[in-house]
Amino acid sequence: MIRHNRVFVAVLVAAVLSGVTIGCASQSAGDSLVSYGLTLSPTGIDPHLNASLELGIPLSSVYDTLVFQDPETGAFVPGLAQEWTVSADGLEYTFSLRHDVTFHDGTPFNAEAVVTNFDYVLNPDNHSQRAAFMMGPIEGVQAVDEYTVRLSLGQPFAPLLDSLSQVYLGMASPLALEQWGPAEYQFHQIGTGPYRFLEYVPDDHLSLVRNPDYNWGPSIYKRSQGEVESFVFKFYEDPATRLLALQGGQVDVIGELPPRDAAQIEGSDAFDLLPVAIPGQPLQLMFNTRQPPTHDLQVRRALIMGVDRASIVRTVFGNYSPVAIGPLASNGLSPTPTNANLDFDQAAARQILLQAGWEAGLGGTRLRQGIPLALDVVVPSWGSNPEVGQLIEAAWEELGAQVRLTVAPGFGQLKEMQAAGDYNAIGYNTFGADPDLLRSFFHSDGLYNWTGVDHDGLDRLLDQAAQTTGDPDTRRQLYEQVSSIIQDEALILPVRDYVDLIGYNRRVQGLQFSYQGWFPLLIDLRLAH
Amino acid sequence: MVPAPDRFAPGPLAAVFRRILQGLLTAWAAVSLTFLALRLAGGDPIANLLAQGLASPTQASNLRRALGLDQPIWTQYLHYLGGLVRGDLGVSLYTSRDVSTVIGERIPPTAALASAGLIVALLIGLILGVTAAWSSRRPIGIVAGLLSSLALTLPVAVTGVLSILGLSLAFRAIPGADFLANLQSLVLPAFVLGFASSGGIARLVQTGLTESLNKPYILAAKARGLPVGARLLWHALRPALPPVISLTALEASFLFSGTVVTETVFSRPGLGRLLVTSILRGDFPVAQGIVVMAALVYTGGHILADLLALAIDPRLRRLI
Repeated sequence: MIRHNRVFVAVLVAAVLSGVTIGCASQSAGDSLVSYGLTLSPTGIDPHLNASLELGIPLSSVYDTLVFQDPETGAFVPGLAQEWTVSADGLEYTFSLRHDVTFHDGTPFNAEAVVTNFDYVLNPDNHSQRAAFMMGPIEGVQAVDEYTVRLSLGQPFAPLLDSLSQVYLGMASPLALEQWGPAEYQFHQIGTGPYRFLEYVPDDHLSLVRNPDYNWGPSIYKRSQGEVESFVFKFYEDPATRLLALQGGQVDVIGELPPRDAAQIEGSDAFDLLPVAIPGQPLQLMFNTRQPPTHDLQVRRALIMGVDRASIVRTVFGNYSPVAIGPLASNGLSPTPTNANLDFDQAAARQILLQAGWEAGLGGTRLRQGIPLALDVVVPSWGSNPEVGQLIEAAWEELGAQVRLTVAPGFGQLKEMQAAGDYNAIGYNTFGADPDLLRSFFHSDGLYNWTGVDHDGLDRLLDQAAQTTGDPDTRRQLYEQVSSIIQDEALILPVRDYVDLIGYNRRVQGLQFSYQGWFPLLIDLRLAH
Repeated sequence: MVPAPDRFAPGPLAAVFRRILQGLLTAWAAVSLTFLALRLAGGDPIANLLAQGLASPTQASNLRRALGLDQPIWTQYLHYLGGLVRGDLGVSLYTSRDVSTVIGERIPPTAALASAGLIVALLIGLILGVTAAWSSRRPIGIVAGLLSSLALTLPVAVTGVLSILGLSLAFRAIPGADFLANLQSLVLPAFVLGFASSGGIARLVQTGLTESLNKPYILAAKARGLPVGARLLWHALRPALPPVISLTALEASFLFSGTVVTETVFSRPGLGRLLVTSILRGDFPVAQGIVVMAALVYTGGHILADLLALAIDPRLRRLI
């Protein structure tokens, strides 16, 4: 009996000891180490195959891209390609590559390497979830000579340079791709960028160390003295723990602070706040034009005017987020003209509903021919969507609607509820600097045509804009027309432009983000002495 | 009494064997339920993979075919079971990595936290339970009872964030975040987790001990001159332990299958977080793999608990 117990105790003691040893494995702090808090733990971090935005935060500094985008102007500048030409029909892009670039493993960078990378991305067996689709109607990639590469397209594709400037199409060592294959390469990533990939332990940390040989950087990197030697990225998925991690000194920089926490550190002695506007489609409710009562334009207009968007944004997001005014965030390509149809005017909204035949019934619910004004609203569980949804629900109930709000826990469920088709409005937002994003959502054939819109004019404009290469002004005008059709048809209720609230320790200086908004330019970070 | 020679007399080994069979059956049921539930409620995995909306409808259906998700659900199910029998848990939809590898990577951090948490739970649970029963009328006993009620009711999300806050306030003046980080990575979560699990243990110990302290054999032991204290305590505690062991086994199986909230609050890698992300992002093979593992852990935990209870309480041996 006693022996049994001793064995049991011994096992327990051994278990505790092993646990304690694992927990105490200390991290060696280098000379200049910056610790960076990520907010979401990606399911996979090979940028060529996985779609997460979070992975780009560290890995944008591991890879160089053929072209880079100026963080201020959005202009494309040379990267691994020193120059490029586009054929008159927009179907062929020819890139002349730099001669002086080597990967972190010593492999020379050349045209063959570029071809290998694109083959890796486009190989259907590798199941690329993002990069492959960023290439649009790509038909072939060809090494013309050792330092010239030609991409051929089936149709002109205006977003191509935007795609090529992102980490998802960053250049990886062909040797490493070959050696590790699609399942394991994510743990052994090798690029040509200013930082080398050191180690990745899922859900725990990812670390980078400076590449001392890096002297082929694009003009957007300022490269003054005193670059940070190494970075360690850790994951803080629970929003309540992020500010604590910053204040407790466990991270120097952390993104996605809740607005209330952000207000606490703004302008404090030790920490500061950097709100970063993210381009893309704002948080919005998309109306289902195929389901009554939102199939009626007048109802949609009334529902938009019945919501005080400015006060909702202030309530949920503090003073940091701009109120959205159109289908694209205001810093995107299309500066949406102000539209009086969006202004909050409850009386006008009631008037429109009345004219459309919706009369106030018993208990305040409006009826038309005995049918109540019932609305099914679906919102995602993330990004403060449920809070926004509740406030909109209250506003619409005040107009005399019966609202049923459903929160979808994941994107898969959101899509499923959308596919069922009996919703009236669905909340969503996307990220990206190129306005071609709108094609998936507002083209009648789009994979995400959740408004059910089928508008010849929209289809034509979106197709034309996607194919307008080399003439940014014309393209901008096309998207302005797209935007005004979306507003005239009252397809969406725009809520807020996305802003990433970054908190940082004041010992970190020079924090700057790419044109896409999410990705920091790590090489230009400095530590104060 | 001599058993009839033609009658099969099941010994402890047969009981264990029966338990294993039951466990396998449970695992199969759990897997099948998860398989169906994830496909009915989990949403479209392809939609998850393409959440950014960049693919065309053709590209989306190509990806669906490449991942074998265009096949009827029964074909997928049989295919999955077939793999399972061969010990193949499949590959992650997101990374093409073997599910067994993905899960294997999370076992060490989960096991470390679970074993540390379990020790804490047992220590706190026993101390609180014994104190509450032994000193039931004194203030210390009442405090112990209160503490165990708190442990039962306070959610880990609250105690976790509070403990981080407390720690960062207490050590704000002291530089050297490394020390703090180490404390936060295991000791603190183990305490938070252990405290949460200790409530039930404390309650069982308290009721069991109170009951046996009133039994005549305790009075008899006192009368025989057994010293009041550790030996008498052991005397009274032993019969109260089997239910505690069952509960501990349940808690242990729960802890070893991963603890979502604790892992998230303390930013620790582990099976719980992996399970939740896999479900939310529609990575079915990984989620199913964790369920298979959890079902096996639960079964193993129960068998272990039965054996331990047999070792501690001889009366139970007659029941088999």
